[in-house]
Amino acid sequence: MYRIALQMLMGDKAKYVGLLSGITFTAFLVTFALAYFAGFMTWGFALVSENPSVDVWVMDPAVNSTKMTINLPSSALNRVRSVKGVATAVPLSLNDVVARFPNGRFQTFQMIGVDDASLTGAPLLKNALLSTIPYMPDSVIVDAGGTSDKLQTPVHAKDKWPFDGVHLDVPTRKLRYGDELLINDKRVVIAGVSKTIPRFPPHPLLYTTYSNVKRLLPSENKLLTFIMVSAKKGISARQLAKRIEQQTHLRARTSNDFKEDTVHWYLINSEDVGDMASMLILAMTVGFGVTGVMLYMFTYENLKQYAVLKAMGASNSILLKMVFIQAGSSALLGTGIGIGLCAIVGEFVSTIAFPFRLMWFTPLVGILGVLIVSLTAAAISSRPVLKLEPSMVFSGR
Amino acid sequence: MNSEKNHHTVIYCRNIKKTYGEGEAKVFALRGVDLDVYQNELLMLVGPSGCGKTTFVSIISALLKADSGECSVLGDDLSKLSDDKKNYFRSHSIGFVFQSFNLLPALTAVENVAIPLLIQGVKRTIALKEAKIVLDTVGLGSRTHALSGELSGGQQQMVAIARALVHKPKIIICDEPTSNLDHESGQQVMVLLRRLVKQENKTLVVVTHDNRIFYFADRMAYMDDGKIIKIENKNGAPQ
Repeated sequence: MYRIALQMLMGDKAKYVGLLSGITFTAFLVTFALAYFAGFMTWGFALVSENPSVDVWVMDPAVNSTKMTINLPSSALNRVRSVKGVATAVPLSLNDVVARFPNGRFQTFQMIGVDDASLTGAPLLKNALLSTIPYMPDSVIVDAGGTSDKLQTPVHAKDKWPFDGVHLDVPTRKLRYGDELLINDKRVVIAGVSKTIPRFPPHPLLYTTYSNVKRLLPSENKLLTFIMVSAKKGISARQLAKRIEQQTHLRARTSNDFKEDTVHWYLINSEDVGDMASMLILAMTVGFGVTGVMLYMFTYENLKQYAVLKAMGASNSILLKMVFIQAGSSALLGTGIGIGLCAIVGEFVSTIAFPFRLMWFTPLVGILGVLIVSLTAAAISSRPVLKLEPSMVFSGR
Repeated sequence: MNSEKNHHTVIYCRNIKKTYGEGEAKVFALRGVDLDVYQNELLMLVGPSGCGKTTFVSIISALLKADSGECSVLGDDLSKLSDDKKNYFRSHSIGFVFQSFNLLPALTAVENVAIPLLIQGVKRTIALKEAKIVLDTVGLGSRTHALSGELSGGQQQMVAIARALVHKPKIIICDEPTSNLDHESGQQVMVLLRRLVKQENKTLVVVTHDNRIFYFADRMAYMDDGKIIKIENKNGAPQ
């Protein structure tokens, strides 16, 4: 009888394709939404992700994300270096700066100052010699940071550093090696354009050395935002973080813990996340609604066939199992296609700097979500099947 | 009409009453039906629309429950059967032939015929084998793998008859079996039904409006306004 259930399901090709499309759409939507959310969260802790060699992040005790920070006194660096078990401790500075382009346009950047000696925290460059940066005064590396069209500089020389006012609506191109910007009336030179993990929310980045930051931001007393620590052999990151906290009274977190803190911070504090989650919930609800209604309609339209089976002696339990097999198999197949489609689309969108991260649990949540909806729809659909009057099969009824 | 139950009585009904709805909307479908149907006979139930024919056959096939009266089929008092036993009763003792065939469109002819056996729990391969044999009997051995949509109306009804016979029920209930068929197909269906009933010692109850097939009946029960108003013995039905 269960094979008959599947044959009934697949017999009406148009309905079956419609049903499967609905479930596929829902599974795709749920999985994509979760991957999109995970992608954004991953962008949120991009700073941590792009420094995989760092074991422990040290920061002001009030800081609990990469997004909202306050700087430390420079003496904190040596205090951390003095903790037993610390192999290396290097500074990292995060500060927002306004840079002016040669045509007069300005743009806010997050300036990331990295250790002059080790350059820990600097991005990898394809076609530039990173080692030259410390020896080039005021040199910076620019990065779009997930934005588009924020790094545009004028094409023509006549539009650069004009004396007759700003030249905003002029032909532009992307910044490249050798271009110049003004920060606090000081010239900086582009030493390279990097492509690191985009940020959430997107904002362009300027990487330079810690000593350059000091020159470019002379008004700031404290420039040290994070101390990036690597542990000596024989001590775990967690143990070292605990020891640093005990001895310095600063906040010290392992990389994984700091990522979790950041996600938690976004979930609690970011309005963007709330808006995004609302949209995703809405989309998922619509998808679930479509699946539920289509499954219900499918069963409802087959009531006459169930009545025939019931008239011929099929028990309610057989009919129920048939309904659930139809719902379950459609759900599994539709979910499989939906998740597969999502993975393919994910591969594509990942190449265009789209926040997409298919984590191990994302497909499971997708499967679970669609199964719950499908089985709920099947349970609701089974009511008319159970209430079915088999005598309806006769012509007079 | 009111003879006592004997060993030839397959269906024994006394004072069967059935109403639908309540209050002002209450409709009296059956107002006290008395009827016996005997083994190896073809009984036709005729009467105007709304006279209660369908309600009556629904009751004797355990699809509906009578409000009152005694209805015993093959020795089982239907009013005392649980739902599970009614399912068992229908799946083993009754075969149905419907006006609109009611074949499952997604299944082939042989799969449709096998359904009653599958409901009984017979293994699929055995059920299909049995179904094929019965399809051969009704002359559709060459169309076993045709979907119902690929068959003519007459062929679909033949498949439905095969489905009604495959599990070897003692009673076959036919609801307007020829109404959707042309004259020739209708005659073929009735010839087949009558032959199978007589050869295999079954009981056939046929609800019909189609006076072209009345002469196949052994007896005619005329219904009106929820009652049997006349029973007519027919002689000379084709054997």
